[in-house]
Amino acid sequence: MKAKVDRVLGWVLVVMLAVMTLDVLWGVFTRYVMANQASWSEELARFLLIWIGILGAAYASGQRMHLSIDLLENKPVRLIAALIILFALGVLVVGGTRLVLLTAELGQLSPALGVPMSLVYSVVPLSGLLIIYYRLADFKTS
Amino acid sequence: MEVAILVLTFVVLIGLGMPIAWCIGISATVTMLASIPALPALTTVAQQTAAGLDSFSLLAIPFFILAGQIMNQGGIARRLIAFARSLVGGLPGGLAHVNIIAAMLFGAIAGSAAAAASAIGETVGKAMEKEGYSKEFSAAVNITSSTTGLIIPPSNILIVYSLASGGVSIAALFLAGYLPGLLTGLLLMVVAAIVAKRKGYTTRGTFALGEVGRTFVRALPSLLLLVIVIGGIVAGVFTATEASAAAVLYCLLLSFVYGEVKVRDLPGVFLNAVGTTSIVMILIATSISMSWIMAFENIPQDITSFLLATSDNPFVIMIIINLILLFVGVFMDMTPAVLIFTPIFLPVVTEIGIDPVHFGIIMILNLCIGLCTPPVGSILFVGVGVAGTTIQKVVRPLLPFFVAMLVALLIVTLVPGLSTWLPAQFGF
Repeated sequence: MKAKVDRVLGWVLVVMLAVMTLDVLWGVFTRYVMANQASWSEELARFLLIWIGILGAAYASGQRMHLSIDLLENKPVRLIAALIILFALGVLVVGGTRLVLLTAELGQLSPALGVPMSLVYSVVPLSGLLIIYYRLADFKTS
Repeated sequence: MEVAILVLTFVVLIGLGMPIAWCIGISATVTMLASIPALPALTTVAQQTAAGLDSFSLLAIPFFILAGQIMNQGGIARRLIAFARSLVGGLPGGLAHVNIIAAMLFGAIAGSAAAAASAIGETVGKAMEKEGYSKEFSAAVNITSSTTGLIIPPSNILIVYSLASGGVSIAALFLAGYLPGLLTGLLLMVVAAIVAKRKGYTTRGTFALGEVGRTFVRALPSLLLLVIVIGGIVAGVFTATEASAAAVLYCLLLSFVYGEVKVRDLPGVFLNAVGTTSIVMILIATSISMSWIMAFENIPQDITSFLLATSDNPFVIMIIINLILLFVGVFMDMTPAVLIFTPIFLPVVTEIGIDPVHFGIIMILNLCIGLCTPPVGSILFVGVGVAGTTIQKVVRPLLPFFVAMLVALLIVTLVPGLSTWLPAQFGF
């Protein structure tokens, strides 16, 4: 199961990074060759970066890639995992969901693409759920 | 009170061994919870975290990381080393200088000190061992010289500083980095020569103009990337973000031409870049939310008035700030340190008449030292790993190189022209 989640998440992120690269190059191309830069290219790139950054945090958490300092001989692994779950639940899932609901209520749309901002922010609770999943999967295996 | 909560939570979590990004996020949240009701507090942190990444200039970071990953697959490091060898291989302690020059070139091109430390250290380190240099000396040279790539542009950390300072020109910062970066490299070379002489390391290289020309031509396509990126930004052809995307395209084309990267390798290269990007981005996102909360609690104002009350001598204040940053750098990674401490110190230094571009260079140069020290020095870990030695053994050989870095920092702090002259020539 974890391997499957890793694979899907990894591919989603790779595709996003590739689209983001092409998108910014396309912006430069349209400005110089067509003398009229596509207005949506910058906005799309910024939204993709938010998604890559926040969803990537879940991916990096699953791969145990985040940097830490090891001062203690016996790291309290379970305590750390529990605190991360608490943070993911409180800030990312609860705070993030409220953020999505508030922006949905206001009906806020992005200026160039017309995408609901609530959709852009929905990555926050999504990433929170994935982080919790990864930490719980860890508990099971250890 | 809130400051105490913030600092205490952060220190305890770091001590437990919690990943740094979460330490920052959790201590920001706890501080927020202590000052406003729970639901708005959680929502604010969530919003600051997402909104913190909503910036077009930040986009340059994943692109430079991606370009660096593509280069790591290719023979760019090898070509740069050959070029550096033809240039400085004949000096006393020849290979140490080769390492320093190659790290400066590769670090600038790849924009990552860790990539430089592993790519250059791997190749040059082996050659040094063969010629009788001690592993620890090679590691010390490699570790400290790798950080010069963070000052010599293009540099992701200077982009982070531009963001944290509220929009200091990236082009100006890039140009400002050249002379201080070269100065640091030069001082490291002086120390390497002195140590090599004392230890009796011989040199086997010779200097031949024909060889310099030949290796230069082979390294030229890689060096051309710098011309495209920096030239493009300074001439106003590109924004930094667009230049970084162009760098990705250029590196891809170059590695296809060299036949070193195949299309089927690309998903793996992209996935590596995604991993590195995510680690940096979440650090940036949580640091921005922490910095927002510190502003919310008026912490920068308190520190400004405190520092300005200590002394009215700009020199004394700069020394105090440098000492604080050295301490911070020992315990905190560079990116969060820049994002959290720039808004705190920038108002102080502008008050005493320091140019924000100049301060950015001082700050990065200062934090470079922390990258080479235990317990969190990420470059130290990479360099020690590549050399196959231990942190305990490498600390002593590192000391003279730290002196060189500190002298560079002192000179760069005292001589604003080193940072501001070059940007001024281009009208910044």
